[in-house]
Amino acid sequence: MTQDPWTNRLSEYLDGELPEWERHALESHLESCAECSLVVSDLRRVVRRARTLKNPPPVTDLWPGIAARIGAGIPKAQDVVDLDAQRRVRRQWAFSLPQLAAAGIALMTVSGGAVWFMSGAARQSVVSAPVPSSPPESTPAVSVAMKPNASQSYAAAVADLERVLADGRGKLDTTTVRIIEQNLAAIDRAIAEAQRALDADSANLYLNTHLAETMRRKLDLLRQAAALVPVS
Amino acid sequence: MLFALLTGTLALSPIVQADTTLNAVRGQRLDVNAYAGEVTVHAWNRNAVRIVASGADQDQLEISSSATAISIRTHGRHGPPDEITLQISAPAWIAISMGGVNTNAKIEGIRAPISVETVEGEVDVTGGESLISLRSVQGSVRLRGAKGRINVNSVNEDVEVANSSGDIAAQTVNGEILLQGVNASSVDANTVNGDISYSGPIRSGGRYALSTHNGDLTLTVPEGTSAGVTVSTFSGDFESEFPVPLRGTRKGKGFNFTLGSGSAQVTLESFQGTIQLVRPGSEEDPARRKREHDRDHDED
Repeated sequence: MTQDPWTNRLSEYLDGELPEWERHALESHLESCAECSLVVSDLRRVVRRARTLKNPPPVTDLWPGIAARIGAGIPKAQDVVDLDAQRRVRRQWAFSLPQLAAAGIALMTVSGGAVWFMSGAARQSVVSAPVPSSPPESTPAVSVAMKPNASQSYAAAVADLERVLADGRGKLDTTTVRIIEQNLAAIDRAIAEAQRALDADSANLYLNTHLAETMRRKLDLLRQAAALVPVS
Repeated sequence: MLFALLTGTLALSPIVQADTTLNAVRGQRLDVNAYAGEVTVHAWNRNAVRIVASGADQDQLEISSSATAISIRTHGRHGPPDEITLQISAPAWIAISMGGVNTNAKIEGIRAPISVETVEGEVDVTGGESLISLRSVQGSVRLRGAKGRINVNSVNEDVEVANSSGDIAAQTVNGEILLQGVNASSVDANTVNGDISYSGPIRSGGRYALSTHNGDLTLTVPEGTSAGVTVSTFSGDFESEFPVPLRGTRKGKGFNFTLGSGSAQVTLESFQGTIQLVRPGSEEDPARRKREHDRDHDED
Protein backbone atom coordinates (compact mmCIF):
# COMPACT_ATOMS: atom_id res chain seq x y z
CA MET A 1 0.00 0.00 0.00
CA THR A 2 1.37 3.40 -0.97
CA GLN A 3 1.44 5.94 1.80
CA ASP A 4 0.03 9.36 1.14
CA PRO A 5 3.09 11.62 0.67
CA TRP A 6 1.45 14.36 2.70
CA THR A 7 0.88 12.24 5.79
CA ASN A 8 4.29 12.94 7.26
CA ARG A 9 4.01 16.66 6.58
CA LEU A 10 0.82 17.25 8.57
CA SER A 11 2.63 17.93 11.81
CA GLU A 12 4.82 20.54 10.14
CA TYR A 13 1.72 22.04 8.62
CA LEU A 14 0.10 22.42 12.02
CA ASP A 15 3.27 23.99 13.40
CA GLY A 16 3.27 26.53 10.58
CA GLU A 17 6.63 25.30 9.40
CA LEU A 18 5.80 24.57 5.77
CA PRO A 19 6.88 27.04 3.09
CA GLU A 20 4.00 28.99 1.70
CA TRP A 21 3.83 27.10 -1.58
CA GLU A 22 3.76 23.77 0.24
CA ARG A 23 1.15 25.02 2.66
CA HIS A 24 -1.09 26.00 -0.24
CA ALA A 25 -0.49 22.67 -1.93
CA LEU A 26 -1.31 20.79 1.24
CA GLU A 27 -4.46 22.81 1.83
CA SER A 28 -5.57 21.99 -1.69
CA HIS A 29 -4.84 18.36 -0.96
CA LEU A 30 -6.88 18.54 2.25
CA GLU A 31 -9.87 19.72 0.25
CA SER A 32 -9.95 16.42 -1.58
CA CYS A 33 -8.40 13.97 0.90
CA ALA A 34 -10.81 12.99 3.65
CA GLU A 35 -8.21 10.88 5.41
CA CYS A 36 -5.61 13.63 5.74
CA SER A 37 -8.29 16.11 6.66
CA LEU A 38 -9.48 13.84 9.43
CA VAL A 39 -5.95 13.31 10.68
CA VAL A 40 -5.41 17.07 10.80
CA SER A 41 -8.57 17.44 12.86
CA ASP A 42 -7.43 14.71 15.23
CA LEU A 43 -3.97 16.21 15.54
CA ARG A 44 -5.40 19.62 16.31
CA ARG A 45 -7.46 18.08 19.06
CA VAL A 46 -4.51 16.23 20.59
CA VAL A 47 -2.38 19.36 20.50
CA ARG A 48 -5.19 21.42 21.97
CA ARG A 49 -5.60 18.99 24.82
CA ALA A 50 -1.88 18.89 25.45
CA ARG A 51 -1.81 22.66 25.62
CA THR A 52 -4.60 22.75 28.17
CA LEU A 53 -2.87 20.44 30.61
CA LYS A 54 -2.50 22.25 33.85
CA ASN A 55 0.88 23.25 35.14
CA PRO A 56 -0.05 24.04 38.72
CA PRO A 57 2.19 26.38 40.67
CA PRO A 58 3.68 25.12 43.94
CA VAL A 59 1.34 25.44 46.90
CA THR A 60 4.08 27.02 48.98
CA ASP A 61 6.78 29.43 47.89
CA LEU A 62 9.93 27.71 49.13
CA TRP A 63 12.31 30.46 48.15
CA PRO A 64 12.11 32.62 51.32
CA GLY A 65 13.17 29.67 53.48
CA ILE A 66 15.94 28.65 51.13
CA ALA A 67 17.15 32.24 50.84
CA ALA A 68 17.32 32.58 54.60
CA ARG A 69 19.44 29.43 54.92
CA ILE A 70 21.93 30.31 52.22
CA GLY A 71 22.03 33.97 53.10
CA ALA A 72 20.68 35.16 49.80
CA GLY A 73 18.79 38.40 49.63
CA ILE A 74 15.66 39.34 47.80
CA PRO A 75 16.49 39.25 44.10
CA LYS A 76 16.31 42.43 42.08
CA ALA A 77 13.55 42.74 39.57
CA GLN A 78 15.96 42.54 36.63
CA ASP A 79 17.40 39.29 38.00
CA VAL A 80 14.07 37.56 38.12
CA VAL A 81 13.21 35.29 35.21
CA ASP A 82 9.52 35.32 34.46
CA LEU A 83 8.81 31.61 34.14
CA ASP A 84 5.21 32.22 33.19
CA ALA A 85 6.36 34.41 30.34
CA GLN A 86 8.78 31.74 29.24
CA ARG A 87 6.04 29.14 29.38
CA ARG A 88 3.88 31.36 27.24
CA VAL A 89 6.41 31.30 24.47
CA ARG A 90 4.86 29.26 21.69
CA ARG A 91 5.71 25.63 21.95
CA GLN A 92 6.65 23.59 18.92
CA TRP A 93 4.74 20.38 18.44
CA ALA A 94 6.44 18.22 15.89
CA PHE A 95 5.64 14.57 16.37
CA SER A 96 4.90 11.58 14.24
CA LEU A 97 1.42 10.16 14.71
CA PRO A 98 2.46 7.27 16.98
CA GLN A 99 4.60 9.69 18.98
CA LEU A 100 1.61 11.94 19.46
CA ALA A 101 -0.47 9.09 20.79
CA ALA A 102 2.31 8.11 23.18
CA ALA A 103 2.92 11.70 24.19
CA GLY A 104 -0.75 12.09 24.93
CA ILE A 105 -0.68 9.24 27.40
CA ALA A 106 2.62 10.36 28.91
CA LEU A 107 1.37 13.91 29.40
CA MET A 108 -1.84 12.69 30.95
CA THR A 109 0.06 10.36 33.24
CA VAL A 110 2.51 13.04 34.31
CA SER A 111 -0.25 15.58 34.71
CA GLY A 112 -2.43 13.24 36.71
CA GLY A 113 0.41 11.86 38.73
CA ALA A 114 1.92 15.25 39.50
CA VAL A 115 -1.30 16.68 40.80
CA TRP A 116 -1.95 13.60 42.87
CA PHE A 117 1.57 13.49 44.25
CA MET A 118 1.16 17.07 45.44
CA SER A 119 -1.55 16.00 47.88
CA GLY A 120 -0.23 15.15 51.29
CA ALA A 121 -2.47 12.15 51.75
CA ALA A 122 -1.30 10.55 48.57
CA ARG A 123 2.34 11.26 49.31
CA GLN A 124 2.12 9.72 52.77
CA SER A 125 0.52 6.59 51.44
CA VAL A 126 3.04 6.17 48.67
CA VAL A 127 6.02 6.55 50.95
CA SER A 128 4.78 3.90 53.33
CA ALA A 129 3.67 1.43 50.70
CA PRO A 130 5.95 -1.20 49.15
CA VAL A 131 6.69 -0.90 45.47
CA PRO A 132 5.01 -3.73 43.53
CA SER A 133 7.11 -6.02 41.42
CA SER A 134 4.59 -5.98 38.60
CA PRO A 135 1.55 -3.94 37.57
CA PRO A 136 -1.82 -5.22 38.75
CA GLU A 137 -3.74 -7.51 36.45
CA SER A 138 -6.41 -4.90 35.89
CA THR A 139 -3.95 -2.56 34.26
CA PRO A 140 -4.75 -2.71 30.57
CA ALA A 141 -2.36 -3.45 27.80
CA VAL A 142 -1.34 -0.37 25.94
CA SER A 143 -1.60 0.48 22.28
CA VAL A 144 1.05 -0.81 20.00
CA ALA A 145 1.64 2.83 19.10
CA MET A 146 2.60 3.73 22.63
CA LYS A 147 6.19 4.10 23.71
CA PRO A 148 7.23 1.61 26.41
CA ASN A 149 8.18 4.34 28.90
CA ALA A 150 4.76 5.96 28.57
CA SER A 151 3.15 2.58 29.16
CA GLN A 152 5.28 1.98 32.23
CA SER A 153 4.56 5.45 33.63
CA TYR A 154 0.87 4.89 33.20
CA ALA A 155 0.94 1.45 34.78
CA ALA A 156 2.97 2.77 37.71
CA ALA A 157 0.61 5.69 38.29
CA VAL A 158 -2.41 3.39 38.15
CA ALA A 159 -0.75 0.90 40.49
CA ASP A 160 0.13 3.63 43.01
CA LEU A 161 -3.36 5.02 43.05
CA GLU A 162 -4.94 1.57 43.27
CA ARG A 163 -2.74 0.82 46.25
CA VAL A 164 -3.79 4.04 47.98
CA LEU A 165 -7.39 3.13 47.35
CA ALA A 166 -6.93 -0.45 48.56
CA ASP A 167 -5.20 0.75 51.73
CA GLY A 168 -7.91 3.30 52.40
CA ARG A 169 -11.03 1.37 51.46
CA GLY A 170 -11.75 0.58 55.12
CA LYS A 171 -12.02 4.30 55.78
CA LEU A 172 -14.56 4.89 53.04
CA ASP A 173 -18.26 4.25 53.01
CA THR A 174 -18.95 0.79 51.59
CA THR A 175 -21.43 2.18 49.07
CA THR A 176 -18.88 4.68 47.86
CA VAL A 177 -16.29 1.93 47.46
CA ARG A 178 -18.77 -0.20 45.53
CA ILE A 179 -19.69 2.69 43.23
CA ILE A 180 -16.07 3.52 42.55
CA GLU A 181 -15.23 -0.09 41.82
CA GLN A 182 -18.19 -0.43 39.47
CA ASN A 183 -17.13 2.65 37.58
CA LEU A 184 -13.52 1.56 37.41
CA ALA A 185 -14.74 -1.76 36.01
CA ALA A 186 -16.80 0.10 33.41
CA ILE A 187 -13.76 2.08 32.35
CA ASP A 188 -11.66 -1.08 32.22
CA ARG A 189 -14.24 -2.66 29.92
CA ALA A 190 -14.14 0.40 27.68
CA ILE A 191 -10.34 0.29 27.65
CA ALA A 192 -10.38 -3.39 26.73
CA GLU A 193 -12.85 -2.77 23.91
CA ALA A 194 -10.83 0.12 22.57
CA GLN A 195 -7.68 -1.98 22.84
CA ARG A 196 -9.24 -4.83 20.88
CA ALA A 197 -10.41 -2.42 18.20
CA LEU A 198 -6.96 -0.92 18.03
CA ASP A 199 -5.35 -4.33 17.71
CA ALA A 200 -7.26 -4.71 14.46
CA ASP A 201 -6.54 -1.20 13.22
CA SER A 202 -3.44 0.14 14.89
CA ALA A 203 -3.09 3.16 12.61
CA ASN A 204 -6.52 4.51 13.45
CA LEU A 205 -5.88 7.80 15.20
CA TYR A 206 -9.40 7.99 16.62
CA LEU A 207 -8.94 4.64 18.33
CA ASN A 208 -5.53 5.72 19.60
CA THR A 209 -6.84 8.95 21.07
CA HIS A 210 -9.99 7.29 22.38
CA LEU A 211 -7.92 4.66 24.17
CA ALA A 212 -5.68 7.38 25.58
CA GLU A 213 -8.67 9.41 26.73
CA THR A 214 -10.30 6.41 28.37
CA MET A 215 -7.07 5.53 30.16
CA ARG A 216 -6.85 9.12 31.36
CA ARG A 217 -10.39 8.78 32.69
CA LYS A 218 -9.26 5.84 34.76
CA LEU A 219 -6.41 7.88 36.20
CA ASP A 220 -8.78 10.75 36.92
CA LEU A 221 -11.23 8.50 38.74
CA LEU A 222 -8.50 6.76 40.70
CA ARG A 223 -7.05 10.12 41.70
CA GLN A 224 -10.48 11.38 42.70
CA ALA A 225 -11.10 8.23 44.72
CA ALA A 226 -7.69 8.36 46.40
CA ALA A 227 -8.37 11.93 47.44
CA LEU A 228 -11.49 10.74 49.28
CA VAL A 229 -9.45 8.57 51.61
CA PRO A 230 -9.15 10.49 54.88
CA VAL A 231 -5.67 11.03 56.28
CA SER A 232 -5.42 9.23 59.61
CA MET B 1 -11.32 49.01 61.03
CA LEU B 2 -13.88 48.49 63.75
CA PHE B 3 -15.53 45.82 61.61
CA ALA B 4 -12.23 44.09 61.03
CA LEU B 5 -11.63 43.97 64.76
CA LEU B 6 -15.09 42.58 65.32
CA THR B 7 -14.73 39.90 62.67
CA GLY B 8 -11.34 38.98 64.05
CA THR B 9 -12.89 38.48 67.46
CA LEU B 10 -15.58 36.31 66.00
CA ALA B 11 -12.96 34.09 64.46
CA LEU B 12 -11.50 33.41 67.87
CA SER B 13 -14.78 32.67 69.55
CA PRO B 14 -17.03 30.37 67.52
CA ILE B 15 -20.71 31.08 67.69
CA VAL B 16 -23.12 28.21 68.27
CA GLN B 17 -26.68 29.21 67.53
CA ALA B 18 -29.62 27.83 65.62
CA ASP B 19 -30.24 31.14 63.90
CA THR B 20 -27.29 33.44 63.37
CA THR B 21 -26.76 36.47 61.16
CA LEU B 22 -23.31 37.87 60.45
CA ASN B 23 -22.41 40.99 58.54
CA ALA B 24 -20.63 40.31 55.26
CA VAL B 25 -18.21 42.61 53.50
CA ARG B 26 -17.01 42.41 49.92
CA GLY B 27 -13.91 40.30 49.69
CA GLN B 28 -15.22 37.71 52.08
CA ARG B 29 -16.23 34.30 50.82
CA LEU B 30 -18.61 31.77 52.29
CA ASP B 31 -17.05 28.46 53.29
CA VAL B 32 -19.44 25.66 54.17
CA ASN B 33 -18.30 22.23 55.25
CA ALA B 34 -21.15 20.00 56.30
CA TYR B 35 -20.48 16.28 56.61
CA ALA B 36 -24.06 15.17 56.05
CA GLY B 37 -27.45 16.66 55.43
CA GLU B 38 -28.99 19.37 53.30
CA VAL B 39 -27.42 22.73 52.62
CA THR B 40 -29.42 25.40 50.84
CA VAL B 41 -28.09 28.84 49.96
CA HIS B 42 -30.39 31.59 48.69
CA ALA B 43 -29.27 35.00 47.59
CA TRP B 44 -30.87 37.96 49.33
CA ASN B 45 -30.43 41.72 49.21
CA ARG B 46 -28.64 42.25 52.50
CA ASN B 47 -24.88 42.40 53.01
CA ALA B 48 -25.14 39.73 55.63
CA VAL B 49 -25.19 35.97 55.95
CA ARG B 50 -27.97 34.33 57.89
CA ILE B 51 -27.61 30.71 58.95
CA VAL B 52 -30.57 28.72 60.19
CA ALA B 53 -29.53 25.27 61.35
CA SER B 54 -31.65 22.34 62.45
CA GLY B 55 -31.46 18.62 62.89
CA ALA B 56 -28.14 18.20 64.63
CA ASP B 57 -26.73 18.78 68.06
CA GLN B 58 -25.92 22.47 68.06
CA ASP B 59 -22.53 21.70 69.61
CA GLN B 60 -21.58 20.11 66.32
CA LEU B 61 -21.94 23.38 64.45
CA GLU B 62 -19.24 26.00 64.32
CA ILE B 63 -19.68 29.37 62.69
CA SER B 64 -16.90 31.89 62.46
CA SER B 65 -16.03 35.02 60.56
CA SER B 66 -12.71 36.51 59.55
CA ALA B 67 -11.64 39.27 57.20
CA THR B 68 -11.61 36.82 54.30
CA ALA B 69 -14.34 34.30 55.01
CA ILE B 70 -17.46 33.38 56.85
CA SER B 71 -17.06 29.74 57.74
CA ILE B 72 -19.70 27.21 58.68
CA ARG B 73 -18.67 23.69 59.55
CA THR B 74 -19.94 20.64 61.33
CA HIS B 75 -17.71 18.40 63.43
CA GLY B 76 -18.34 15.30 65.51
CA ARG B 77 -16.81 14.62 68.88
CA HIS B 78 -16.88 10.86 68.58
CA GLY B 79 -17.22 9.89 64.95
CA PRO B 80 -18.81 11.67 62.01
CA PRO B 81 -21.15 14.61 62.63
CA ASP B 82 -24.91 14.07 62.50
CA GLU B 83 -27.00 15.12 59.55
CA ILE B 84 -27.81 18.79 59.59
CA THR B 85 -30.08 21.07 57.65
CA LEU B 86 -28.59 24.44 56.88
CA GLN B 87 -30.61 27.20 55.30
CA ILE B 88 -28.34 30.05 54.42
CA SER B 89 -29.18 33.46 53.05
CA ALA B 90 -26.25 35.30 51.53
CA PRO B 91 -25.53 38.31 49.33
CA ALA B 92 -25.42 37.50 45.63
CA TRP B 93 -21.86 38.79 45.35
CA ILE B 94 -20.33 36.33 47.81
CA ALA B 95 -18.21 33.50 46.46
CA ILE B 96 -19.11 30.09 47.83
CA SER B 97 -16.95 27.10 48.60
CA MET B 98 -18.88 24.10 49.84
CA GLY B 99 -17.73 20.62 50.80
CA GLY B 100 -19.45 17.57 52.20
CA VAL B 101 -19.72 13.80 52.16
CA ASN B 102 -23.37 12.77 52.50
CA THR B 103 -24.49 16.26 51.64
CA ASN B 104 -27.01 17.57 49.16
CA ALA B 105 -26.24 21.10 48.03
CA LYS B 106 -28.66 23.59 46.54
CA ILE B 107 -27.60 27.12 45.67
CA GLU B 108 -29.74 29.80 44.07
CA GLY B 109 -29.15 33.32 42.89
CA ILE B 110 -25.45 33.73 43.59
CA ARG B 111 -23.56 35.82 41.01
CA ALA B 112 -20.02 34.92 42.04
CA PRO B 113 -17.66 31.94 41.87
CA ILE B 114 -19.08 28.71 43.25
CA SER B 115 -17.27 25.51 44.17
CA VAL B 116 -19.12 22.47 45.49
CA GLU B 117 -17.72 19.02 46.22
CA THR B 118 -19.72 16.20 47.70
CA VAL B 119 -19.50 12.43 47.65
CA GLU B 120 -22.96 10.97 48.13
CA GLY B 121 -25.10 13.99 47.54
CA GLU B 122 -26.74 15.82 44.70
CA VAL B 123 -25.64 19.25 43.55
CA ASP B 124 -28.23 21.69 42.21
CA VAL B 125 -27.11 25.21 41.40
CA THR B 126 -28.92 28.09 39.75
CA GLY B 127 -26.56 30.97 39.10
CA GLY B 128 -22.84 31.37 39.51
CA GLU B 129 -20.34 33.54 37.68
CA SER B 130 -16.66 33.43 36.80
CA LEU B 131 -15.42 30.05 38.02
CA ILE B 132 -18.04 27.41 38.70
CA SER B 133 -16.89 23.96 39.76
CA LEU B 134 -19.43 21.36 40.84
CA ARG B 135 -18.48 17.79 41.67
CA SER B 136 -20.19 14.74 43.09
CA VAL B 137 -19.25 11.08 43.09
CA GLN B 138 -22.60 9.40 43.58
CA GLY B 139 -25.01 12.23 42.98
CA SER B 140 -26.22 14.11 39.95
CA VAL B 141 -24.95 17.59 39.14
CA ARG B 142 -27.30 20.21 37.76
CA LEU B 143 -26.43 23.76 36.82
CA ARG B 144 -28.63 26.47 35.35
CA GLY B 145 -28.19 30.14 34.63
CA ALA B 146 -24.42 30.21 35.10
CA LYS B 147 -21.90 32.39 33.32
CA GLY B 148 -18.16 31.79 33.15
CA ARG B 149 -15.78 28.85 33.19
CA ILE B 150 -17.93 25.90 34.10
CA ASN B 151 -16.63 22.56 35.29
CA VAL B 152 -19.25 19.98 36.20
CA ASN B 153 -18.31 16.48 37.17
CA SER B 154 -20.00 13.37 38.47
CA VAL B 155 -18.98 9.74 38.53
CA ASN B 156 -22.13 7.68 38.77
CA GLU B 157 -24.92 10.05 37.82
CA ASP B 158 -26.06 12.51 35.19
CA VAL B 159 -24.63 15.94 34.60
CA GLU B 160 -26.83 18.73 33.28
CA VAL B 161 -26.04 22.30 32.29
CA ALA B 162 -28.85 24.49 31.04
CA ASN B 163 -29.27 28.10 30.01
CA SER B 164 -25.65 28.92 30.78
CA SER B 165 -22.82 30.59 28.94
CA GLY B 166 -19.04 30.45 28.95
CA ASP B 167 -16.59 27.59 28.63
CA ILE B 168 -18.00 24.25 29.68
CA ALA B 169 -16.24 21.06 30.75
CA ALA B 170 -18.60 18.25 31.72
CA GLN B 171 -17.63 14.76 32.73
CA THR B 172 -19.17 11.66 34.18
CA VAL B 173 -18.41 7.96 33.93
CA ASN B 174 -21.77 6.27 34.30
CA GLY B 175 -24.32 8.89 33.39
CA GLU B 176 -25.71 11.16 30.75
CA ILE B 177 -24.54 14.64 29.92
CA LEU B 178 -27.20 17.13 28.93
CA LEU B 179 -26.10 20.53 27.71
CA GLN B 180 -29.18 22.48 26.80
CA GLY B 181 -29.63 26.08 25.88
CA VAL B 182 -25.98 26.75 26.44
CA ASN B 183 -24.08 29.53 24.72
CA ALA B 184 -20.49 28.40 24.88
CA SER B 185 -17.39 28.99 22.81
CA SER B 186 -15.68 25.95 24.26
CA VAL B 187 -17.35 22.69 25.23
CA ASP B 188 -15.70 19.48 26.32
CA ALA B 189 -18.10 16.73 27.35
CA ASN B 190 -17.03 13.20 28.09
CA THR B 191 -18.71 10.11 29.50
CA VAL B 192 -18.08 6.38 29.33
CA ASN B 193 -21.55 4.88 29.78
CA GLY B 194 -24.11 7.45 28.79
CA ASP B 195 -25.62 9.65 26.15
CA ILE B 196 -24.56 13.21 25.45
CA SER B 197 -26.74 15.90 24.01
CA TYR B 198 -25.91 19.46 23.12
CA SER B 199 -28.24 22.22 22.06
CA GLY B 200 -27.28 25.82 21.66
CA PRO B 201 -25.55 28.06 19.17
CA ILE B 202 -22.36 26.85 17.54
CA ARG B 203 -20.32 30.01 17.81
CA SER B 204 -17.89 31.23 15.21
CA GLY B 205 -14.40 30.13 16.23
CA GLY B 206 -15.77 27.91 18.96
CA ARG B 207 -14.58 24.42 19.80
CA TYR B 208 -16.97 21.65 20.71
CA ALA B 209 -15.84 18.14 21.64
CA LEU B 210 -18.39 15.53 22.68
CA SER B 211 -17.21 11.99 23.38
CA THR B 212 -18.81 8.85 24.77
CA HIS B 213 -17.91 5.18 24.70
CA ASN B 214 -21.26 3.45 25.26
CA GLY B 215 -23.85 5.99 24.38
CA ASP B 216 -25.49 8.13 21.75
CA LEU B 217 -24.54 11.66 20.83
CA THR B 218 -27.12 14.19 19.75
CA LEU B 219 -26.07 17.56 18.49
CA THR B 220 -28.74 20.12 17.75
CA VAL B 221 -27.50 22.20 14.87
CA PRO B 222 -29.19 25.56 14.33
CA GLU B 223 -29.74 26.84 10.81
CA GLY B 224 -26.85 28.91 9.56
CA THR B 225 -24.24 27.08 11.62
CA SER B 226 -20.69 27.44 10.37
CA ALA B 227 -18.50 24.59 11.51
CA GLY B 228 -16.04 21.97 10.47
CA VAL B 229 -17.39 18.73 11.89
CA THR B 230 -15.39 15.60 12.59
CA VAL B 231 -17.32 12.43 13.32
CA SER B 232 -15.64 9.29 14.61
CA THR B 233 -17.03 5.96 15.69
CA PHE B 234 -15.89 2.38 15.79
CA SER B 235 -19.06 0.35 15.59
CA GLY B 236 -21.72 3.01 15.90
CA ASP B 237 -23.91 4.82 13.42
CA PHE B 238 -24.26 8.29 12.05
CA GLU B 239 -27.59 9.94 11.30
CA SER B 240 -28.51 13.42 10.24
CA GLU B 241 -31.88 15.08 9.84
CA PHE B 242 -30.47 17.26 7.10
CA PRO B 243 -28.08 16.63 4.23
CA VAL B 244 -24.42 16.96 5.08
CA PRO B 245 -21.70 17.26 2.46
CA LEU B 246 -19.55 14.27 3.42
CA ARG B 247 -16.08 14.51 1.96
CA GLY B 248 -15.46 10.80 2.21
CA THR B 249 -15.02 8.04 4.66
CA ARG B 250 -12.19 6.05 5.99
CA LYS B 251 -11.71 2.82 7.77
CA GLY B 252 -13.06 3.05 11.28
CA LYS B 253 -16.05 5.18 10.26
CA GLY B 254 -14.64 8.64 10.30
CA PHE B 255 -16.30 11.51 8.52
CA ASN B 256 -15.45 15.11 7.93
CA PHE B 257 -17.80 17.73 6.64
CA THR B 258 -18.18 21.45 6.67
CA LEU B 259 -21.24 23.51 7.39
CA GLY B 260 -21.14 27.05 6.07
CA SER B 261 -17.64 28.42 6.08
CA GLY B 262 -16.56 26.07 8.85
CA SER B 263 -15.41 28.62 11.39
CA ALA B 264 -16.12 26.48 14.45
CA GLN B 265 -14.62 23.07 15.18
CA VAL B 266 -16.95 20.29 16.25
CA THR B 267 -15.69 16.84 17.21
CA LEU B 268 -18.20 14.08 17.80
CA GLU B 269 -17.05 10.66 18.99
CA SER B 270 -18.96 7.60 20.05
CA PHE B 271 -17.18 4.28 20.14
CA GLN B 272 -20.33 2.21 19.74
CA GLY B 273 -23.31 4.53 19.82
CA THR B 274 -25.27 6.58 17.33
CA ILE B 275 -24.14 10.08 16.46
CA GLN B 276 -27.06 12.18 15.43
CA LEU B 277 -27.47 15.69 14.06
CA VAL B 278 -30.88 17.24 14.51
CA ARG B 279 -32.56 20.57 13.93
CA PRO B 280 -33.91 22.64 16.82
CA GLY B 281 -37.50 21.79 17.61
CA SER B 282 -37.50 18.49 15.74
CA GLU B 283 -38.88 15.36 17.37
CA GLU B 284 -35.37 14.19 18.14
CA ASP B 285 -34.25 17.51 19.61
CA PRO B 286 -33.22 16.68 23.20
CA ALA B 287 -34.44 20.06 24.41
CA ARG B 288 -37.90 19.35 23.04
CA ARG B 289 -37.92 15.81 24.41
CA LYS B 290 -36.88 17.09 27.83
CA ARG B 291 -39.65 19.68 27.82
CA GLU B 292 -42.17 16.98 26.93
CA HIS B 293 -40.77 14.66 29.56
CA ASP B 294 -40.93 17.36 32.21
CA ARG B 295 -44.48 18.24 31.19
CA ASP B 296 -45.56 14.58 31.39
CA HIS B 297 -43.84 14.30 34.76
CA ASP B 298 -45.65 17.37 36.06
CA GLU B 299 -49.01 16.02 34.89
CA ASP B 300 -48.39 12.77 36.72
